[in-house]
Amino acid sequence: MIQKKICMIGASGVGKTSLIAKFVHSMFSDKYLTTVGVKIDKKTVSVDGSEVMLMIWDLEGDDDYQRLQTSYLRGTSGYLLVADGTRQITLDQAIEIQGRVVAAIGPLPFLLALNKADLAPQWEIDEARTDSLSARGWRSFKTSAKEGAGVEEAFIELGRMMTQSK
Amino acid sequence: MHRSARDPITEFEELRRLLLSRERAQLRELTDRVSDKERRSQDVAGVLPEAIKMSRERGEELTHALQPAVEGSIKDSIDQRPQVFVDALHPIIGPIVRRSIAESLRRLLQSLNQTLEHTFSWRGLKWRFEALRTGKTFAEVVMLRSLVYRVEQLFLIHRETSLALLHVAADSAVSKDSDMVAGMLSAIQDFARDSFEAGEDSALEEFRVGELQVWIAPGRAAYLAAVIRGNPSRELRSTLEDAIESIHILKGSALTFFQGDTAVFETLRPELESCLQAQYNTEKRGRPTRAWLMLLAIAAVAIFGLILAAQSKSKWKNFLGRLKSQPGIVVTDAQHRWFSSSQVSGLRDASSADPATLSREANLDPSRIRFHWKEFLALDPASVRRRFEQRFSVPTETRIALNDGVLALSGSVPYAWLEQVQREATLIPGVTSIVERDAKIIYDPDLARKRFETRFTLPDSVNAVAVDGALTLSGEASHRWLTRVRAEGAKVPGITSIDDRAVIDLDQRAFEQSRSIIESAFVYFLTNKDDIATEGFAALSRLPDEIRRCENAAKQLGMALTLEIHGYADAVGSEAKNADLRQRRANKVRDFLVSCGFPAAQFKPVGIEQPFKPAASDKAAAEQSDRRVAFTVVTQSSTTSP
Repeated sequence: MIQKKICMIGASGVGKTSLIAKFVHSMFSDKYLTTVGVKIDKKTVSVDGSEVMLMIWDLEGDDDYQRLQTSYLRGTSGYLLVADGTRQITLDQAIEIQGRVVAAIGPLPFLLALNKADLAPQWEIDEARTDSLSARGWRSFKTSAKEGAGVEEAFIELGRMMTQSK
Repeated sequence: MHRSARDPITEFEELRRLLLSRERAQLRELTDRVSDKERRSQDVAGVLPEAIKMSRERGEELTHALQPAVEGSIKDSIDQRPQVFVDALHPIIGPIVRRSIAESLRRLLQSLNQTLEHTFSWRGLKWRFEALRTGKTFAEVVMLRSLVYRVEQLFLIHRETSLALLHVAADSAVSKDSDMVAGMLSAIQDFARDSFEAGEDSALEEFRVGELQVWIAPGRAAYLAAVIRGNPSRELRSTLEDAIESIHILKGSALTFFQGDTAVFETLRPELESCLQAQYNTEKRGRPTRAWLMLLAIAAVAIFGLILAAQSKSKWKNFLGRLKSQPGIVVTDAQHRWFSSSQVSGLRDASSADPATLSREANLDPSRIRFHWKEFLALDPASVRRRFEQRFSVPTETRIALNDGVLALSGSVPYAWLEQVQREATLIPGVTSIVERDAKIIYDPDLARKRFETRFTLPDSVNAVAVDGALTLSGEASHRWLTRVRAEGAKVPGITSIDDRAVIDLDQRAFEQSRSIIESAFVYFLTNKDDIATEGFAALSRLPDEIRRCENAAKQLGMALTLEIHGYADAVGSEAKNADLRQRRANKVRDFLVSCGFPAAQFKPVGIEQPFKPAASDKAAAEQSDRRVAFTVVTQSSTTSP
């Protein structure tokens, strides 16, 4: 089975950890995030008929993204950039972080997950914003950790992007 | 000089030729090269190695593209010419197999040795008690007390991606999801490096968590992480370093161009497993002596068992041989069983030897053999003979031989036994007749006497004594009985002669007595007359009874009786007168006796010329005168039997 390392990146409080909690095989507690700064989970997805095992590095969300521990990004085949759809600022942070990631490890397949899709009334990110990102080649998914919507699809899509780009 | 007008097209061609001749030649050559297949192949062959090299450097694309074709051609080649692959693989398969077996055996012996040590030693018992006391499992206590160190898990981790390429664990080690553990190990290394701002090349070499240590053996593209329980020796580090080095030699390019496919590293498993070392705290290091001793003991027990089994088998064969050779036993099926009763089935004559006894003689326990016999009558000489011997207890001096149903007796044979045999032997199946020609028959004197007594109804008045076949009789018996004994007595088996001289013949005696009375009776007459004198009557009156008695006795003796009546006269007077007187006197007595009922023919009255000569003792008779009649009893054999 092909194995791929991916990272979950995003500002704190965007729901990275809860996004995957329901979908992955986990053996480490969330405490690792605040101690070591990373927690590793595992998920197997089926991409175009072949199984791919994703080793998911859930990186500690840090508002002070200057301190992003780039060493954890090394060797990753792709990443999931997570923002909170109800807080405009987290998207800006995500964009900033993505820039830093590219600077650190170069261009790699990634997806933007706009989380908390279940909280439609508080949604702050307008279509125009996402359209402009699409125009830059960003692909985004609306996800909901609470309802589980879009998460599986996001992982499968990322898996597909990584296996095609190799 | 005049230049003739020329065709503009020709001129253009001319110009083109002048200007482009070199390019045209080159173009032609290029066209030739492209269209000529052979030349094109030569060109490709020239650049192919370089192209493959470059492609490999760029990534795994070429590998994936070639994979189906290479797999297909290998498969075809194996199908069609397997010998090529056998020859190619032969040099490496042998060592791999040997190494794998040696490694398995080493670990088995080591583990066996420990188990034995812990099971049978005093220390082992102590640990068991401790386990009981503390509630821990025995294995935990053993681990705690005896382990120096043990490599429990090994991770081969790709440095770049932090992915676990291969994970091996000792049998009893608790191993969680190796992929995630490998990831976290990498993360912790990164964390340590970042936190303390160590250089990129520095690495976390080891860390300790309680009883566990994690040792990292770094390599260029991958590193080994060993999870070790206890305190490992320094040699372990060089073992790990050697391992990661050889892994890089074996899989260098796969590590460099790793794209997430871990299957290619599976072949490194033996390499890694050989690093799962352990060291235990034992008095004697090195050779697993206890294991060898135990194996030796097991081998000894096995050999002992085999010897016992062989012995048992041979006993069984011996027993079956004996059984089969027995007359009157036919074995149809025999099964020797080790753990349950053995079985023997067949036919058995009731007279044959007891199979249980035979089994005891063969040193087999009869209670462990189950016999299933069907009865039958065996007619082989030995069985018939045995049946005969069981029915008639053969005397020791007697010899018997059996041939075609004829039982021949020889040696000394007691008569009584012979009699029984003659009577009953032919009732035995297989015996048709008895021959005792060569036998010396022995008679028991007592039995012979008894036989005689029974046969002749021995009278109470007779006593019989038998000695060596000679029977001596004494006492009194009737003449008739004596006659029978004399005639037939020697026919009694066991009696060769009879001595009856001591037996008084009662009839003879009665006869003799009567005759004596008759012959001593005298009837006296008056002088010169044929008249009976007075004293003569007394004698005469007793005569008829006596004659009858004598007659009867004679009859018993088989004789008829005639009585001569002798008439006497004295010398006085003339002889002629006296002769007449003698005859008349005799006739007178006869007439008297006839008148008493006797037939006249029984009497012969004669005159006796000579004077009467009395017996010397008979004085009374002598005193009487010759005027008398006397009697003489004459007997002749009776024509009729008594």
